[in-house]
Amino acid sequence: MNKNLYQPVNAEIIDIIEESPTIKSFIVQPQESFKFDTGQFVELTLPGAGEAPFTPSSSPAQTDKMEITIMKAGRVTALLHDCNKGQKVGIRGPYGHGYPVEDFVGKEVYIVGGGVGLAPIRSLFLTLIDRIKDFKSVVCRYGAKTPADFIYKSMLFGQWQKIKGVDIKLTVDQSNGEWKDNIGVVTTILSPDDVNIENAVGVVCGPPIMMKFATIKLLEFGFKPEQIYLSMEKNMSCGFGKCGHCMLGKYYVCKDGPVFSYDMIKNYPNIWA
Amino acid sequence: MQTVFISQLKPLLDTVASQMDVYIPCKIKSHFVFSKYNSNTGNEVELNNIRACTPVKEFLFPLRELAAIFPEPLVPKEIKPFAIFGLKDCDLRSIEILDKVFTEKDFEDPFYINRRKNMFIISSDCFDPGQSCICNLLSGKPFAGKGYDLNISKVNVGFIVEVGSEKGENFITKNSSIFTKAGEDILAERENNRAETQKQLEEQNDEYKLDAPVHEIVQQSYESDVFDQEASTCVECQACTRVCPTCHCFYLYDTKQKDYFGKMKMWDSCMRLSYARVAGGENPRKVLGDRLRHRFMHKFSYFLERYGIDMCVGCGRCVDAEAGKVDIRRVIKKLNEELNVKAK
Ligand SMILES: Cc1cc2nc3c(=O)[nH]c(=O)nc-3n(C[C@H](O)[C@H](O)[C@H](O)COP(=O)(O)OP(=O)(O)OC[C@H]3O[C@@H](n4cnc5c(N)ncnc54)[C@H](O)[C@@H]3O)c2cc1C
Ligand code: SF4
Ligand code: FES
Repeated sequence: MNKNLYQPVNAEIIDIIEESPTIKSFIVQPQESFKFDTGQFVELTLPGAGEAPFTPSSSPAQTDKMEITIMKAGRVTALLHDCNKGQKVGIRGPYGHGYPVEDFVGKEVYIVGGGVGLAPIRSLFLTLIDRIKDFKSVVCRYGAKTPADFIYKSMLFGQWQKIKGVDIKLTVDQSNGEWKDNIGVVTTILSPDDVNIENAVGVVCGPPIMMKFATIKLLEFGFKPEQIYLSMEKNMSCGFGKCGHCMLGKYYVCKDGPVFSYDMIKNYPNIWA
Repeated sequence: MQTVFISQLKPLLDTVASQMDVYIPCKIKSHFVFSKYNSNTGNEVELNNIRACTPVKEFLFPLRELAAIFPEPLVPKEIKPFAIFGLKDCDLRSIEILDKVFTEKDFEDPFYINRRKNMFIISSDCFDPGQSCICNLLSGKPFAGKGYDLNISKVNVGFIVEVGSEKGENFITKNSSIFTKAGEDILAERENNRAETQKQLEEQNDEYKLDAPVHEIVQQSYESDVFDQEASTCVECQACTRVCPTCHCFYLYDTKQKDYFGKMKMWDSCMRLSYARVAGGENPRKVLGDRLRHRFMHKFSYFLERYGIDMCVGCGRCVDAEAGKVDIRRVIKKLNEELNVKAK
């Protein structure tokens, strides 16, 4: 006893990648090796300033450092965006339940993402392509506001597209003229023919409004609620089921989630808020 | 376990105080608040008839505490044993509820556990229940059932001291010289007193009597408009959740001190508007009625489902504290009546 669960592990930001005008990826190196499952999250502390939950976007196979992709969304995230390489930070976690990757084996994994929602999905994606033969296919549909807002551009437009068993389609809400692909919200590039729904799982992550409409679409296609996995964003503080902030009905999203199958939460009102 | 007798409280308190700090409820007008016992003041100790107006959670989970520091980590320190005197059954049951949360095996709160381990509990029977006491509607009793080290029952000639734990047993054995045997007659008197108080409570709360257990009523009322109606007078003072001995929401925030950075843990309230707000402004409980509904659902549905007990002990503190006059007794009664109308 006497282990202090509120005490973060000391860590350092060793590199920063500008992904888009509002999103940066931070390479964070903890003082001790740090294990997590894909889809689990951490609480990142900027000492003296504040703390916020993020899902690492790197592969769980890497335990000496992790990548955290952060959208500037408010007070703490803005302060993080102002940080430079060498900044000391703290990490608590990992917390919650991530994606049940073993349950995806042999199936078609249908991933629908929007905005910074691609961050947790990238970690899942890296986990899946590491053992791509275990899955029937990985189908990814991703939307950004404008072409400039895509994150992980080099991978998204290059390397990942070439992997056998992977099918990626992209869309933007507004074009900048050079964009040759689809224009429209992400649900406009979803088609019931993308996967064999009987043998598929849906994974949805993004802004609340996008999650809502993508989930409705998948249900229309014939996905069963238990076939759809959602990573829920709620206000969080402790991360381990005590402080109460993240409650969604009887669930502590931090501890019982943040990944839920839709059937677990569908009967609660305001789940998308 | 032993049951003994002592004619005055002072020698008992002085003995405990010689070994550790003791907090006792002191009367301020008609309320009791805890303060540190000082044997030198020589005041006659008055046994509190009901619970103090402040919740016992303060001793285990303070309003604000330092939870972590940078860059050197904060290692929780052992604390000195301390005693609390005059806790009531509702207080003990609130500790049982907090224990479920903070001592849960997967995530143990070291600060809570340190205090809890070192807390010596001297409870006592209630007499003259307060206007807002409704423990009898929430499977409580006006005398301690379990969870105490020692329990005091006032009788005509003095006080019966009953042991409830090994810690209490050791204390009595070690200090046996100040106690005498408790005779059958005073034990019978205690049973009478207890039955009398229980009866008084039941009579007093007759108007709030329900047709089913509270949790069954609340669980069937998710859609009820009563929460919105009742919230209309709420002034969002959050006092209900602060004085509640079972509410345990908190918030972690970071501070900059002269020579270190600190992470503080502070009480929070689910009745606060931005409590559940996320970046971007979405908020699942923007409307006050939804927050009131959540407070009730957490207490009588979600907590019960997870931990197997209601998260309300019926101490009535929220009733006393409410500036906006949201009365838990009335809310539950209204829900009950609404269900009865629906059933017809
Ligand atoms: C499981 C999970 C995973 C996530 N993963 C990612 C990710 O990978 N990438 C990403 O970009 N985002 C992610 N998010 C979202 C991210 O956590 C939020 O964008 C972040 O918390 C915003 O914090 P902020 O302080 O910048 O925003 P703000 O809008 O300033 O605050 C956000 C919340 O914190 C509360 N708050 C902040 N400061 C205070 C204060 N001083 N007092 C009281 N309340 C305060 C607010 O009430 C608000 O609800 C994730 C969220 C969750 C729950
Ligand atoms: S609620 Fe019951 S146990 Fe608590 S002080 Fe009142 S009578 Fe005593
Ligand atoms: S974040 Fe504290 S309970 Fe979930």
